[in-house]
Amino acid sequence: MDYIIATEQLTKKYKNFTSVNHVSIHVRRGSIYGFLGPNGAGKSTTMKMLLGLTAPTKGRFTIDGKQFPGDRLKILREIGSFIEAPSFYANLTGRENLDVIRRILGLRKNTIEDALELVGLSEFGDRLAKKYSLGMKQRLGLAGALLGRPPILILDEPTNGLDPSGIHEIRNLVKSLPDLYDCTVLISSHMLSEIELMADDIGILNHGRLLFEGSLDDLRHSARQAGMSADNLEDVFLSIVEQDNAARKQRAKL
Amino acid sequence: MRALVIELRKEKRTGVIPVLLAVGILGAAYAFVSFLIRKDTLLGLPLAPMDVLLTQLYGMIMILNLFGIVVAACMVFHLEFKGSAVKKMYMLPMSVPGMYLCKFLILTVTLFAAIALENLALMKIGQSCLPQGTFEMGTLLCFTAYSFFTSMPVLSFMVLISSRFENMWVPLGVGVAGFLSGMALASSAAAVLMVHPFIVMFKPAVAMSAQPDMLAVMFAQIETLLFLGLGLWMAKNLRYE
Repeated sequence: MDYIIATEQLTKKYKNFTSVNHVSIHVRRGSIYGFLGPNGAGKSTTMKMLLGLTAPTKGRFTIDGKQFPGDRLKILREIGSFIEAPSFYANLTGRENLDVIRRILGLRKNTIEDALELVGLSEFGDRLAKKYSLGMKQRLGLAGALLGRPPILILDEPTNGLDPSGIHEIRNLVKSLPDLYDCTVLISSHMLSEIELMADDIGILNHGRLLFEGSLDDLRHSARQAGMSADNLEDVFLSIVEQDNAARKQRAKL
Repeated sequence: MRALVIELRKEKRTGVIPVLLAVGILGAAYAFVSFLIRKDTLLGLPLAPMDVLLTQLYGMIMILNLFGIVVAACMVFHLEFKGSAVKKMYMLPMSVPGMYLCKFLILTVTLFAAIALENLALMKIGQSCLPQGTFEMGTLLCFTAYSFFTSMPVLSFMVLISSRFENMWVPLGVGVAGFLSGMALASSAAAVLMVHPFIVMFKPAVAMSAQPDMLAVMFAQIETLLFLGLGLWMAKNLRYE
């Protein structure tokens, strides 16, 4: 199988706390991989490790055959990312913010308009970023990730702060990206209902451990095998997480 | 060069460059007004006219420069922390130490421009107000370089401090504390106190002679390079988590 992102026993420890525990994920080229887990499951930390923002305590990973830290600049040139909250220069307009990123990436000028149009921010491009609403900041962050249409997108809860129509719009945009320009998307969320509508494959993370990896059909199949109803995947996700939490409590008691 | 252009674009609407240029203009205006008002008193001092021109006006000019440096250094990194822009920079294929160096260079060049403006005013005063034949261009140029070099440790130190604290009040507080402690200890003859970057900056202001103190220049150069090196190392190795 052609995996564009593959991690091997990736682990991140902060003193006594293990944020990511031996996680091995496999993201197929040209697919949308939904990274699911409750808050604090380790989704953002895993994504930060993939971007070189934080160093793994153990394990390794490859992105398009390249490794950190040796290929840091080459890897970052291929990835459009959006982690946690949108990051922007408050003193610059939306367009000027994208221009800074464009210059760093050495892209053509028209990529700014392309990115603004993709996220529906064209008419607000000349407004100062500090005057944007939360949803507009979110869109600006997404535009920054999409600038130059990078082959890999790492998006950490990109619909946070958006209204229902904004969520719908961004979801449709993310869903259309692999067909639009042949990219691979790794997207995180704590809502299976959201991921279900766009992802080809999913990975379920809880307390830093990968509980499930596979397609949505695989998840339905394993739900049926475990005697759960496969009609409502949200319930399946919650019961997987609850089972893991109960097992953790049991282990802690012993 | 590209990194420098990007950095200049980022600083739009922040006031980083205008604040230092304003300090230069204010310093030049102060020199003119002060010399105009106190001309007879100043020239009546038992000092050589060039020493009067360069040392008796420099105290206030130096304080203006010092606060200009502190404020500009605070702002130059505040723009990265406000809106968490620096996090995005870490996710882009760019050199973070390169970004640090560009900020350092922009402040250095702007400070130099401010000092040049102030010394242009001193030159004009010297040519028109000092007794005939007492103005020495060489001494003025030498003092300009001296005041620039002794100001650099504070700039280098403040850029380092402001790069490490997201809350702008911390570097601002450090700057004010540096100014107060520097002012209290500046007239001490103990050379060891010159490890304090603010004391080095005070040296030309508390001296009665315009002749550069080579020990202060040496300390200044070592401290400037030390803080710059430390800042570059931190930018490379202590990253956002």
